Amino acid sequence: MKAFNLIPAEERGTGSGAGKSGGGAFVVLGLLGVLAVFALLYGSARHQISSQRGQVATLTAQAQQTQAQAARLTPYTSFMALREQREQAVSQLVDSRFDWAHAFHELGRVLPRDVSLSSLSGTIGSTTGAAGGAGKSSSATSSAASTSATVASSTPPGSVPTFTLSGCATSQTEVALTLGRLRLIDGVGEVTLQSSTMATGGGGGGSGGGGSGSCPGHDPAFAMQIAFEPLPSAAAVSSATARSTVSTGASKGRPTTSTGGAR
Amino acid sequence: MTARDRIVIVVIAAFAVLAAAWLLAVAPEREQAAKLATQVSEARAQLTTAESQVTSARSAQAGYAKAYASLVSLGKAVPTGQEVPSLIYQLAQASNQKQVDFSSILNGNASAGGSSATLAPTTAVAAGGFTQMPFTFVFDGNFFDLYRLFQQLNRFTLRTSAGDLQVSGRLLTIQSVKLAPESSSGKGSSGRLTGTITATAYVLPASQGGLTGGATATSPAGVTQTASSSGASSSATTPAVIGAGR
Repeated sequence: MKAFNLIPAEERGTGSGAGKSGGGAFVVLGLLGVLAVFALLYGSARHQISSQRGQVATLTAQAQQTQAQAARLTPYTSFMALREQREQAVSQLVDSRFDWAHAFHELGRVLPRDVSLSSLSGTIGSTTGAAGGAGKSSSATSSAASTSATVASSTPPGSVPTFTLSGCATSQTEVALTLGRLRLIDGVGEVTLQSSTMATGGGGGGSGGGGSGSCPGHDPAFAMQIAFEPLPSAAAVSSATARSTVSTGASKGRPTTSTGGAR
Repeated sequence: MTARDRIVIVVIAAFAVLAAAWLLAVAPEREQAAKLATQVSEARAQLTTAESQVTSARSAQAGYAKAYASLVSLGKAVPTGQEVPSLIYQLAQASNQKQVDFSSILNGNASAGGSSATLAPTTAVAAGGFTQMPFTFVFDGNFFDLYRLFQQLNRFTLRTSAGDLQVSGRLLTIQSVKLAPESSSGKGSSGRLTGTITATAYVLPASQGGLTGGATATSPAGVTQTASSSGASSSATTPAVIGAGR
């Protein structure tokens, strides 16, 4: 069976579902839909605005209140800062000290039995790395420039402690042994012999170079210099002082005898 | 006008209406909402900052007593004044404990050479820090007693093995030491030595506002205006003994 289109030929033209409005109805519907979405967005924005206004007002008031509270307590934080600063300054000085007691202990430990000292002079040199800087006693004021901005130590970081020894040994071999033994001192950088002179005449009296005092018999009088490692740098001192608390004597545990990184 | 033309006009009109609605109504509101959201987040951040400030201030307030005590104890190491009597007292006590004779004290730097001392200025202001106060001390004793004395001098202010700062006396930095046989006749063979020590003590400069910066034991300066003085400088004869820790 063959199908026939019963619509008159002149009215078949449009053919789509647009109908007589020519699709205008769809456009209107779309427009309304989009307008509805817009209305939704508008309403949502209005809602957000009103709620956020209240939120801003509340938060601002709270922040102001809290800031006022913090301002009232500012002296406490300032005081803490003062305490920290003071403590760090003291710590820095403590850490930049040379441990004389330890050095003397070490000297007593390594010195050979047959060697006697007639004098010992120790100084903190003002220059860094100058192992030969004997007798460069640093003044209390000269070192200020080389220290950190916080605190000027009279023994600034980087200074080289030096000991100058003079004394008597039973023989030149003993002097050599002494030189070797002195190198065993903890923290020693260099040991140098200044002089070792055996008295030629009878009855001693040899005093060579920097040697002082008379030695018995033909015992040689020697003078030596020990240069220790430089005192810890400012950076090392700062890192060491970063963490510290303060206590008074007899309240804490066993104290250390070390006073810095010079060892 | 054809149907196509009508459709075009309708579509253009629809777009115009939509654009107007967006531009005039929706977009400004959304923009305002966005601005307010930014303001909310800013206010929230401000509040958080203020809250953290309050928290740290409260913890500072809670630890105030300890901090005050530790600052006062630091005043034993670095007092506000020269406190020479206190220093002598401490040195004498230390030398007595170590069986060492405390022979002399010279205000200023003496040359390590011995008796003819070249005096340096009594105090020298260290840049940005404490004021330095050089001294020269002379002690008599044997080597090991002098060694123990050095230990004792270090222990006035030292760092413990736990990393804490322990203060029981004046902070001293020794710059030079000279040991020589005691010059007194008849004692040359006794092993007695004369130790000449050049050291520096430190003083808190007045520019730092005193030991506690005007704070009292109960509150820091600025909280209450009570007339009580800091009362923190250590006495010459009765050094403050206040345990403190962070």
